[in-house]
Amino acid sequence: MVSTRYAARSVGRNLRRTVLSIVGVAIGCLLALFMESLNRGRGELFARAGSASGLGHVRVVPAGWRGRRDPRLRLADWRADLAAAQAMSGVASVTARARAQVLLAVGTHVVPVELTGVQPDIEPRTFRYVQTIGRGRYLRADDGGALVAGRAIADRLSADLDDEIVATTVGPGGEIQSALFRLVGIVSTGSDDTDLAVCQVVLEDLQRLTGFAGAGEVSIVLNDYREIDRVRARLAGSVAAADEVMTLSELAPDIEGHFKQDAAMTRFVSGIILLIVLLGVASAQLAAVLERRREFAVLAALGMNGPRMVWLIVQEALMLGGGGAVLAVAAGVPLVWKLARSGLDFSRYLGGTYAFQGVLFDPVIYGDFGWWIVVYVSAVAMGATILASLYPAWYAARTDPAVALRVAQ
Amino acid sequence: MRARGVTKTFASGRQEVWALRGVDLDVRAGEFLALVGPSGSGKTTLLNLIGALDVPTAGELLVLGRPIAALSKHERAHLRLQSLGFVFQAYNLVPVLTARENVEFVLELQGAGLDRRARAQEVLAELGLADLTDRRINELSGGQQQRVAVARAVAARPAIVLADEPTANLDGENAETLMHLMRDLRDRHGMTFIFSTHDPRVVAHAVRIVTLVDGRVARDERTGGEPPHTILPAATVQAVGA
Ligand SMILES: Nc1ncnc2c1ncn2[C@@H]1O[C@H](COP(=O)(O)OP(=O)(O)OP(=O)(O)O)[C@@H](O)[C@H]1O
Ligand SMILES: [Mg+2]
Repeated sequence: MVSTRYAARSVGRNLRRTVLSIVGVAIGCLLALFMESLNRGRGELFARAGSASGLGHVRVVPAGWRGRRDPRLRLADWRADLAAAQAMSGVASVTARARAQVLLAVGTHVVPVELTGVQPDIEPRTFRYVQTIGRGRYLRADDGGALVAGRAIADRLSADLDDEIVATTVGPGGEIQSALFRLVGIVSTGSDDTDLAVCQVVLEDLQRLTGFAGAGEVSIVLNDYREIDRVRARLAGSVAAADEVMTLSELAPDIEGHFKQDAAMTRFVSGIILLIVLLGVASAQLAAVLERRREFAVLAALGMNGPRMVWLIVQEALMLGGGGAVLAVAAGVPLVWKLARSGLDFSRYLGGTYAFQGVLFDPVIYGDFGWWIVVYVSAVAMGATILASLYPAWYAARTDPAVALRVAQ
Repeated sequence: MRARGVTKTFASGRQEVWALRGVDLDVRAGEFLALVGPSGSGKTTLLNLIGALDVPTAGELLVLGRPIAALSKHERAHLRLQSLGFVFQAYNLVPVLTARENVEFVLELQGAGLDRRARAQEVLAELGLADLTDRRINELSGGQQQRVAVARAVAARPAIVLADEPTANLDGENAETLMHLMRDLRDRHGMTFIFSTHDPRVVAHAVRIVTLVDGRVARDERTGGEPPHTILPAATVQAVGA
């Protein structure tokens, strides 16, 4: 087609302007790509934090827990739920827990905590904080009467390793029940907030202390966090009838909301950047159209109609956009690859670790790398340049041949 | 083509400029007609109207049986594309395309088939440009460029070719060649040529000469037979050259 050759050579006519436009489009796309990669990486960061903090990617909870979050509720059949979860494909680890509101006391020091009864052989795989034992050791399966606590709790109790701690709680009938535990390990997560969430005994001890049998949750960590919705859907059919399956986003809606807000903000900033690029390209294209006013007048006189004129200019824009996209992909692939491999370490800006709602986040966020880069960059580059070309195209199509020929002569 | 009482006014600031004040003119198929007259007499305006680039303010104007005033912008563009050819004073070719591509482009706009390349080649050869078809426009001389412009205008075999001072930027020899080629095309294909000019050498080639003065047809004469080198009476040349 001559018209395509015509568009291509017109783009090549003012090489400096064309190169500047292409570089502008490429830089805009690159910034948007960088932010989009981090946005997608946020989901992974959330899932990573979820899998390490004991929240789990997916969790089986008792009926009614979703609304009240009452730690005294127990699963209808926790062994069946545990077995159902273990049978699921794509599952990395599964563990059962029970929780209780407990007062810990050493001498005259008293601290209220949420005490968790765990399966010691599996717990560290789903609750990574207990892997970082500061002093002492972690629980063992046959560890009757042993307790592991976060440093902040031990400090408030003024308790040291091997000290005896009295735990007091309210039983099913309202009666006060107590038991004696020995502090065998102190966990330091680096965050006081998170330390306060770590207080564990073996599951059987908790059952005995509270008088509530069974477990309150089955927590599941997946190999691939992108499988969350699929696993939830399938698991919902195989757990005990009265029990319910929840996902990470439902378990921590505040964190999810926080991430969504962040993502919306960065998309907004990307949008502004692209708008600026778009205006730059539009003004360059308008200048190109104005320079060729006489040419368009002649073409209009020969009978080239408005839609064809618009198509000619849009074709030119597509070439600029294509050039920008190629450049942005060429620069973006290694950039995003690096971002996905090494991650972006923002500990410097946070002063160490970052805890939010008792969940500890790694200060490293990894970008997402994949084929979507090519699609994303092409769509953004083409979309922006086509939008940018609409006004110049409309302007060119409006050329009145009789007037333009006279003025130009 | 048929004009009756064709009037064209332009709003120039608060004033009205009368470019044409009632033109009556009939042009039959195959004519070779020169529009002459002093500067500002309305030659370009009339050509623009016949070429459906503009619409008359009043009067009746039929081009190829179509009432120009009643056509939409789009219909006029279609009429131009399918049935009219244009040659402008300053060659007005697309500079980034080659000679052949310039001709081919118009055929493409028209929706011509895949033979358009061959047709473009053929028309250029007819105008003596067979060896220059792949040259960019800026590598051609003024005379060559204007011949490409004529090729572009006639490639689609329009019924009427309109040329506004086609030789104004050409030297005598090139102007002569161009006029010969246009006469040739008209003789061979029966197209109608209407051109405006100030150049007595060009007028000499015309078969019919219409003189406009102040937006009216002041004189309408035929130069007798159709020898290509009719010598006009000196008086006419004088009047035209003034
Ligand atoms: N768009 C316009 N706006 C205002 N006045 C116009 C316009 N077009 C033409 N005119 C006026 O109409 C009159 C006729 O102009 P036109 O260009 O047709 O003359 P012409 O015979 O072609 O002149 P020339 O020999 O110099 O090319 C002139 O007075 C001109 O100023
Ligand atoms: Mg004129």
